[in-house]
Amino acid sequence: MKYIIGIMLALLTASSMAASPDPVDLIRKAMDHWRGVTSYGEMTMVIHRPDWERSMSMEAWTEGDKLSLVRVTAPARDAGNGSLVMDDNMWSYAPKINRVIKVPSSMMSQSWMGSDLSNKDISKSTDIIDQYTHTLLETREGQGHQTWVIQSIPNEDAAVVWGKEVWSIRDDYVLMEQQFWDQDGVLVKTFRTHEVRELDGRMVATVMRMQDEEKPDEWTEMRVDSSKFDIELPINLFTLSNLRNPRQ
Amino acid sequence: MADHQPAAGILFTLAWRNLWRNHRRTLIMLIAIVIGVWAMILFSSLMAGMVDEMVRGGLRTLPGEVQIHHPDYRDDPSIANSIDAPQGALLERLNNPPVTGWAARIKVPAMISSERANRGIQLLGVDPAQEVSLGFDPTNIVEGRFLEGPDDKGLVIGRKLAERLETRLGKRVVIMSQDPDNNVADRGIRVVGIYQARLQATEELNVYGGLETLQKMLNVDNQVSEIAITGDDFRQVASWWPQIQQATGPELETVPWMELDGYLESMMKMQTSFNVIITVVIFLTLSFGLVNTLVMAVFERVREIGLMMALGMRPGWIMYQVLLESIILLGLGLLLGNLLAVATILPLEDGIDISALAKGLEMAGMGSTLYPSLRLSDMVLSTVVVLVLGLLASLLPAWRASRYNPIQALART
Repeated sequence: MKYIIGIMLALLTASSMAASPDPVDLIRKAMDHWRGVTSYGEMTMVIHRPDWERSMSMEAWTEGDKLSLVRVTAPARDAGNGSLVMDDNMWSYAPKINRVIKVPSSMMSQSWMGSDLSNKDISKSTDIIDQYTHTLLETREGQGHQTWVIQSIPNEDAAVVWGKEVWSIRDDYVLMEQQFWDQDGVLVKTFRTHEVRELDGRMVATVMRMQDEEKPDEWTEMRVDSSKFDIELPINLFTLSNLRNPRQ
Repeated sequence: MADHQPAAGILFTLAWRNLWRNHRRTLIMLIAIVIGVWAMILFSSLMAGMVDEMVRGGLRTLPGEVQIHHPDYRDDPSIANSIDAPQGALLERLNNPPVTGWAARIKVPAMISSERANRGIQLLGVDPAQEVSLGFDPTNIVEGRFLEGPDDKGLVIGRKLAERLETRLGKRVVIMSQDPDNNVADRGIRVVGIYQARLQATEELNVYGGLETLQKMLNVDNQVSEIAITGDDFRQVASWWPQIQQATGPELETVPWMELDGYLESMMKMQTSFNVIITVVIFLTLSFGLVNTLVMAVFERVREIGLMMALGMRPGWIMYQVLLESIILLGLGLLLGNLLAVATILPLEDGIDISALAKGLEMAGMGSTLYPSLRLSDMVLSTVVVLVLGLLASLLPAWRASRYNPIQALART
């Protein structure tokens, strides 16, 4: 009898372990899924304010965690503006002044191209993996998918102001929602996926919105128009000279 | 000359009695002088208190009266322009009088962020014990505690900054700056203390972290941005700061506060010239009254003066007597005025609350309490000005009295 109970307990723990995957692993997979080893995408960013709205089209290239290049293509006024991220550093280029500027640390928490995303949001996204403690909160079912909800609490000395972040990752590794909570447990802003489509053979979030929870009519939406993954990128793509003089 | 001594005694008696012959006029004049002297001293002590407070406040935020920097630091206060912490001859010099306190600190521009706001700040990496010796008052901590050592992992921010960031004691914030290679250097850090300062601007600007904690974050080893040194008295700095400069050597920049903050120094100079101008202006108005009193006294006594001259008094003695009258009047007025000023200012030296004007005062870099400072030099200055100008003003009536023709004077009715 004891023996049977023992086996059942062992089975139970084994099955619960199988059902609750490692949250760190989930986040990494979600990011890799979004980015691929390399990626190229065309997207539109819509910035909405109570009394105005504007949109910007841009192209973006990424390679691994640390390298990315974004270039604005429309409207004509902003066309050619670019941002290059290498590791934790960021440079920006504005054709109007024909200068590459290293974004100083003092500007890292300012808004990126006027949106609700900060320069830091753009350049630091993968630090989340090792600067936080992640726990799986729950596993949700719905719309034919399983969704994992992960709570990430930043380490004491992590350069993060949030009290916690809560991720919802679908079982095909599409990031459905990322919530930013303050240290008093109040939800401050949410990055939410509004549309998922198949692009270049994989399911990706194609409409995502950064919403300030305290100001319901202020948000920034990223709409992915097309995306290619795991493509060959020229070796000089992520360089300062390419940021200034586009060659691809 | 031998008969001068009894003559002087008689002249004094005559002058004294003449003064009180029309006691109402003399009293009014006396009151005018007393109030004038009192106003001069009170005004200059208020001004001096204001300027002292400004200079002391300025030195507290500088801080110190002498600072040592990398030669380029004052133009570009980045962590790249750091210096070694004091050692050898300099350390020896710093630990001996007249230096009463010093601190080797990191001071770099940085950003602080909470969930809801970002602010530009001045990040100070300090050893709390040194900071206290330099004049940081731990009782200014209104919540939580001050840092406990150079390796403290907490952050102490100003009350106003906490309000602006919408953060509180015990919350984590992120501080961000640059390391010497211009890479982003940042970390999360918990607010362990909130301090209040005399000026809101200070509360918003200065953020204190542990020296070693920040050195690690900024990737510098045992390096500091500045060494701030204080003696006991900001007026005495000129006498000892060259010694510090000598101990520091020519490759670093040693600067006294007069050069660090030219505004403070010119404020001090301006105050001194202001005092003289105000004293003179107040006295000019007074002198008209004084001249009038004496002229009237002389006119009333034309016949009497004529009689004295006819009896053989020399014109010089007549002049001497009128001058003596004014000296007695001035002397009495000065004595009472000074006493009244001392009696008014001493009880006020603990501070006058002028917080109703706090906003305007803050723009001028002053706190909301005014501490009048009574200085002997101010009292001597107003006394000398009143005596000298008073005698000058009474020269005219005295001279006129001495020029009367005895016959015409006696014939006057």
